[in-house]
Amino acid sequence: MNRDVAADHLLALTLKAGAYTAFALIVAGLMCSAISAPAAEIVTKIGVLVLLATPALRIVVAAIQFLRERDTKFVLISLGVLCVVALAFFLGVEV
Amino acid sequence: MTAETTLLLVLLGLLAGGFGALAGVGGGIIITPLLAIYFGLPMHQAIGVSLVCVIATSTATSSLYVERHITDIRLGMTLELATTFGAMIAALVAQHINRRTLALLFACFLLYSCLSMARKAWSKRTQEKEEEVLPDYQPQNYPLGMGAALIAGGFSGLLGIGGGPVKVPVMYLFMKVPLRVATATSNFMIGVTAATSAYVYWGRGDVAIAVAAPLVAGVFAGSLAGARFSARVKPLYILLLLVAVTGWLAAEMILKLLSRGFR
Repeated sequence: MNRDVAADHLLALTLKAGAYTAFALIVAGLMCSAISAPAAEIVTKIGVLVLLATPALRIVVAAIQFLRERDTKFVLISLGVLCVVALAFFLGVEV
Repeated sequence: MTAETTLLLVLLGLLAGGFGALAGVGGGIIITPLLAIYFGLPMHQAIGVSLVCVIATSTATSSLYVERHITDIRLGMTLELATTFGAMIAALVAQHINRRTLALLFACFLLYSCLSMARKAWSKRTQEKEEEVLPDYQPQNYPLGMGAALIAGGFSGLLGIGGGPVKVPVMYLFMKVPLRVATATSNFMIGVTAATSAYVYWGRGDVAIAVAAPLVAGVFAGSLAGARFSARVKPLYILLLLVAVTGWLAAEMILKLLSRGFR
């Protein structure tokens, strides 16, 4: 079984970066609120937003990786997934 | 929100994330009912918050599987076309379902999961050994896989869960994907699927940050710890524990429904 090592590495890195950034921000925000620092709420909110944005970012990174490999079929599939996610985002705001 | 409640939520996240990673379920099945029953959150908010936790579990643990080259990225991306679509439709529909109906649907789902895990525990008494080296395979039967993915996405958007129990068996049995690859790939897809429905809940103001943030902090830490220890804990015990917890939560939800709760 052959896996695309470079793609795996890049995607794992994206997921990790998103997860740890969100975790760090949320923990920092919670600590700020424990000592009732003023920035607490906004830091926590940004942390949650980073977490929510990570899956979408992961699709973009995969699409770029497929593009570099000239795998047109999977570039299109990734963009299709991205379209559905974006549609959900806009419909959620509209409804 | 008081400091005690925040601490309690962190603790709950730790437990849900830890057991979720050990048992291969994404905590959503535990977090939604806990928030609805014991924290008095309206069902839609409980689901919105649970979706954020599911994204946290998936993001934290799937990076480990991707790194070890167990996840099939192309298969996952293809099936995500269906899971995200199902999730979007279901999340939009869920906004028009009243709280008691949602609670009833969730209670049925809990009961079903409890029974199917009990059956799995019963057949698992004789431990099967998982293959160390991944065999060569070619995913088959894409139409059926896409159908299952659509349904799994629908469950995710409607109930705030990951939908792994629907996807994994179909990938394993009908698409002929090795079990370890199926589990890792399902886990990989859950983040994007849950994010799709989470955006809809977010737009409706059903993601309460004050509740989600402490839970997510716990879930992150718990699921990473769980993923590290998973090789050393007997899956049977975790499974039995989950049978007990889901059975308890199902009973509590039904009792609360009967006493006219969840309004």
